[in-house]
Amino acid sequence: MASPCEVIIQTTDKALALIIGNRVTKEVWRIEDKYNRYNQDSLCTLINNNAGKPIAIDEETYQLLVFADQCYQLSDGLFDISSGVLRKVWRFQGRNEHYAKFPSQTSINTVLPYVGWHKIHFDRQQITLARGMEIDFGGIGKEYAVDRSIILAKQLTEQPVLVNLGGDLAVSGPRYNNETWQVAIEHPDVDSHINQNADMIISLKSGALATSGDAKRFLIKDNIRYGHILNAKTGWPIANAPRSITAVAPQCIQAGILATLALLQGSNAEQFLTEQEIKFWSRR
Amino acid sequence: MMSTIKNIVLIASTLTVTSGCSSLGLGVEPWERDLLAKKEMLLNASPVDSALDDHIYFSKEASSGGKGFGGGGCGCN
Amino acid sequence: MKNITEKPNIKAVLTIAAATLLGTNSLAHAESNTFETEPDEWKFDTAILYYSEADRVSAGEAIFNAQKTFDTEEILNLKLTIDTLTGASANGAVAQPTVQTFTRPSGNGQYQIAPAETPLDDTFRDTRVQLNAQWTQPIAPDYTASGGLHLSKEYDYLSLGINGNIAVDFDRKNSTFSAGFSYFKDTFSPEGGLPQAFSSMLIGDSNADSWDDDFSATRIGSEDDKTTVDILLGFTQVINRRMLMQFNYSYSTVDGYLTDPFKVLSVVNNNGEAQDYIYESRPDSRVKQSVFAQSLYHFDTTVLDVSYRYMWDDWKIKSHTIDSRFRIPLGDSFGKESYLQPHFRFYQQSAADFYQPFLIDNESIPAFASADYRIGEMTAYTVGLKYGMLVNNGHELSFRIEYYSQRPTDAGFDEIGVLKSVDLYPSVDAVIAQVTYSF
Repeated sequence: MASPCEVIIQTTDKALALIIGNRVTKEVWRIEDKYNRYNQDSLCTLINNNAGKPIAIDEETYQLLVFADQCYQLSDGLFDISSGVLRKVWRFQGRNEHYAKFPSQTSINTVLPYVGWHKIHFDRQQITLARGMEIDFGGIGKEYAVDRSIILAKQLTEQPVLVNLGGDLAVSGPRYNNETWQVAIEHPDVDSHINQNADMIISLKSGALATSGDAKRFLIKDNIRYGHILNAKTGWPIANAPRSITAVAPQCIQAGILATLALLQGSNAEQFLTEQEIKFWSRR
Repeated sequence: MMSTIKNIVLIASTLTVTSGCSSLGLGVEPWERDLLAKKEMLLNASPVDSALDDHIYFSKEASSGGKGFGGGGCGCN
Repeated sequence: MKNITEKPNIKAVLTIAAATLLGTNSLAHAESNTFETEPDEWKFDTAILYYSEADRVSAGEAIFNAQKTFDTEEILNLKLTIDTLTGASANGAVAQPTVQTFTRPSGNGQYQIAPAETPLDDTFRDTRVQLNAQWTQPIAPDYTASGGLHLSKEYDYLSLGINGNIAVDFDRKNSTFSAGFSYFKDTFSPEGGLPQAFSSMLIGDSNADSWDDDFSATRIGSEDDKTTVDILLGFTQVINRRMLMQFNYSYSTVDGYLTDPFKVLSVVNNNGEAQDYIYESRPDSRVKQSVFAQSLYHFDTTVLDVSYRYMWDDWKIKSHTIDSRFRIPLGDSFGKESYLQPHFRFYQQSAADFYQPFLIDNESIPAFASADYRIGEMTAYTVGLKYGMLVNNGHELSFRIEYYSQRPTDAGFDEIGVLKSVDLYPSVDAVIAQVTYSF
């Protein structure tokens, strides 16, 4: 996980804090090692390197794939964990290089046939990708690790615990005396002429929050700003999406997917979340 | 030694009490409350409807209350 | 591109999907905390109800309820109720084959009832304003306490009340014991004052000089009061994931002026012909008890709510009430998250021991007597239908229509002479319509 991670425990018991810290660390690394597509020994890499052949999977992986499948169905194919190959043609950069890197439709068309969750077959025992395809747990893995960590922490203690993996976080419940956790969401350093508010403070008593989007990575063409969230069906980034969405939900994986599904709505992102009665913050 | 035995007895009786409760097989674990948590599964799902109905039946019949306080409250009876 | 906002259940689907993934069969508790109870926000319920009896009373009632849940789980509930009632109400006298003349309760004027018609006093007109405030808060882990105030004011009636309740949860909050009490003090000051029990209704020339003095002679005062103390013990038990039950026992004691000053009894001769109308008289205390059981069952999509109440009192009234609702979700085809809810209620009561449809003039007058059909033997049923849906960001709009029919029955009184040719136990049919909006 290429981002700062922390476990906060409200306790005076140092030994307990160490036990929980170690347990969470172990769990997060386990998930990282299993599902990170950049890790050469991960199951994800094994699946991607063997596209065209069935690869045996365990129950946990099956459940993650079922979840990814439901997100695909819910978003009508916009959210697709096989869309990662599109990154071969899209290179998102910081704001100093807005104009340079637009790929041609031809090059997009060369990778599009390798995108499409419906071309992937899986069951409880195995998964088979079509040749040339790849899958990527990046959209759900970190949030899943947060939720797993909270479950493990709750098994070890009743003390209040917060797990934060690079801004996607969850709490086990309120702090002592039923107080809320005060979570500050860092304001990313975007264009200075767009005067957005500074850090936001969010009070959290239960549940989780997750942020989707990256304010620093986008492209501009014909005055339309394209974020780095790609439409798996067209191969193009979603136009007019907010730079980022932070959503609150009972579980981190829900918060994360809701934020992502919202970004996929482009200019309708906020309306989408409002209609679903989700508490959220959007940055445009 | 004596105190150890006492502790064992104490633990054993605690276990009996606990399992005594659950042996009826009633109740659910907190994570099984998905249906019970729905608004329509509240014992008084529509308090406004109940208040209006209570007022009507209080003024038209000889019985009142039972679910909540039957009380007085209006000169309609 | 199909817009996914057309699928409004994304939140619900994700809740289940996440629960399945994480092996926690839905953390419903977390859900309710995060999604539903927005702390520090007001929630409002408004409703307007119209009640109309064929040829008798019409009433309109409006409720405005405001509830605020604080960060620390205290709940403040404020409720304003306004209702207005007009129309005609049975005065207790029996129908006759001849025209009957009655004096209005105020003593100002008289009204006539056509042959064979049930005597109705059409001067009923009242407006009532009611205020309720209720405060609920956790006082210790698993202990919740609540206290409230009640005020209701009509032109001729004032009611003040307080209540308190404590609830204890145990066994993973699957069981809850509660105990509550309420105390009401009501003051009644009817126009025209309170009539002397069993005094004859003065009938004659209300413009005569002696009228006011003669009318005053039938009065015992201008106001009286009653107190009501209720004790309610309850037990709620979660049976399983789909089922919940509640059992209550209530004890209610009322002391004071329990007579209806507007009601009379016909005194008839051996041929059933009315000779006199005398004001009714009821005991000055009543002790009611009831047991109540309710069960909610969640089928795959529908919810069944059934309750039963048995009530008995020292006036020898016994009653059975069965109330049931069945909620049928319609999905989004007839409005967002719409539902239909049929309602059926059955009610049956026996008569109070002093209930008499009429008195016979050569028989001795009992200690207490009332011809008010509401404490006589009766069967009543209600059938209704409610339709609700979500509008504007989850605000709930619902419509309810109900039909209520009261069928007073003969508790075994001999019908003599001309009374055989009239309806002593007329039915009362009412329509109830209600619109509710919650935001």
